[in-house]
Amino acid sequence: MTRLLIVLLAAAAIAPAAGAAGDIDTEDENTDRVPLHTIIPDYPEEARRDRIEGNVQVCFKISRAGMPWRIAVRKSTNRVFEKPAIKAVRASTFTPLGPTEPVPKIKACRTFRFYLEPVPEDERE
Amino acid sequence: MKIKAFSIWLVVLIGALLLAYSQVAAQGSDPISSTNRTVIGQRNPDLADGAQALISGDARRGIELTLEGLETAIGNRELKMAHSNLCAGYLMLKDAERALEHCDKVIEIDPNYWRAYNNRALVYLEMGRYEESEADVARGQAIRPKSKKLKIVKGMLLDETQPVQERVEVDERRSAMEGEHDDPQAKIHD
Repeated sequence: MTRLLIVLLAAAAIAPAAGAAGDIDTEDENTDRVPLHTIIPDYPEEARRDRIEGNVQVCFKISRAGMPWRIAVRKSTNRVFEKPAIKAVRASTFTPLGPTEPVPKIKACRTFRFYLEPVPEDERE
Repeated sequence: MKIKAFSIWLVVLIGALLLAYSQVAAQGSDPISSTNRTVIGQRNPDLADGAQALISGDARRGIELTLEGLETAIGNRELKMAHSNLCAGYLMLKDAERALEHCDKVIEIDPNYWRAYNNRALVYLEMGRYEESEADVARGQAIRPKSKKLKIVKGMLLDETQPVQERVEVDERRSAMEGEHDDPQAKIHD
């Protein structure tokens, strides 16, 4: 009986937590948020020096005011690009929502492709 | 771009000098004070002062003192140090020919001294002898594979021989990286 009570109480304690987790991060293409100011990350000096190229996908939520938050790297081919990508997203903004418009709970994602192009011989210093 | 490359070059060079200086300084109590020059343990104050002058950017004075120190240098350790610093000093003055002579001597004394290959790679780079510069970087990396200084010189060499333009593109599609691996250490940055 006591054991059953403990189990029931534990279940009751978990239930509200699961309810709170109603805002589980979903990821969808349709965030409907319009980029206002998109920051392009700097190419890391170390990566340029070592001729490293790569891609980073960063996903994030967007506040009503249009500020990215809960920024996370979703996919990355090389860690050297992650910090500049996060920094760029953090500094970017989106068009704010009106007071009656609902804030989407879905995450937006942005992929940055870092690559190097050879300078043609006739354009070299 | 040229100024940036020069700054990097200077940092690499000064880095090599710092070690040389610390080696000399370790032999005496105060390598800078001239009154301490007769104190036991101060083996070659001219070498120490020369290194100090080079570190502070006074290449002419540094070379002058190091040449004096070279005259009284005892043993391969001091000879190596003197030639190494002369190589760096002449390179600072853009006198690559003389710098090369001294770098060659360092390698003759100690063929496993990776810093000498690093410095000679810079000398060859200054002279436009890119293949030899590349070979020295490779030799240095064979001795010290993780050397950041050698990586920097290699980057400078690549900038001369295969210059590149940095590009960053933004893609708003979620499917943009499908098929590419996930980073297992991805973290949330609020």
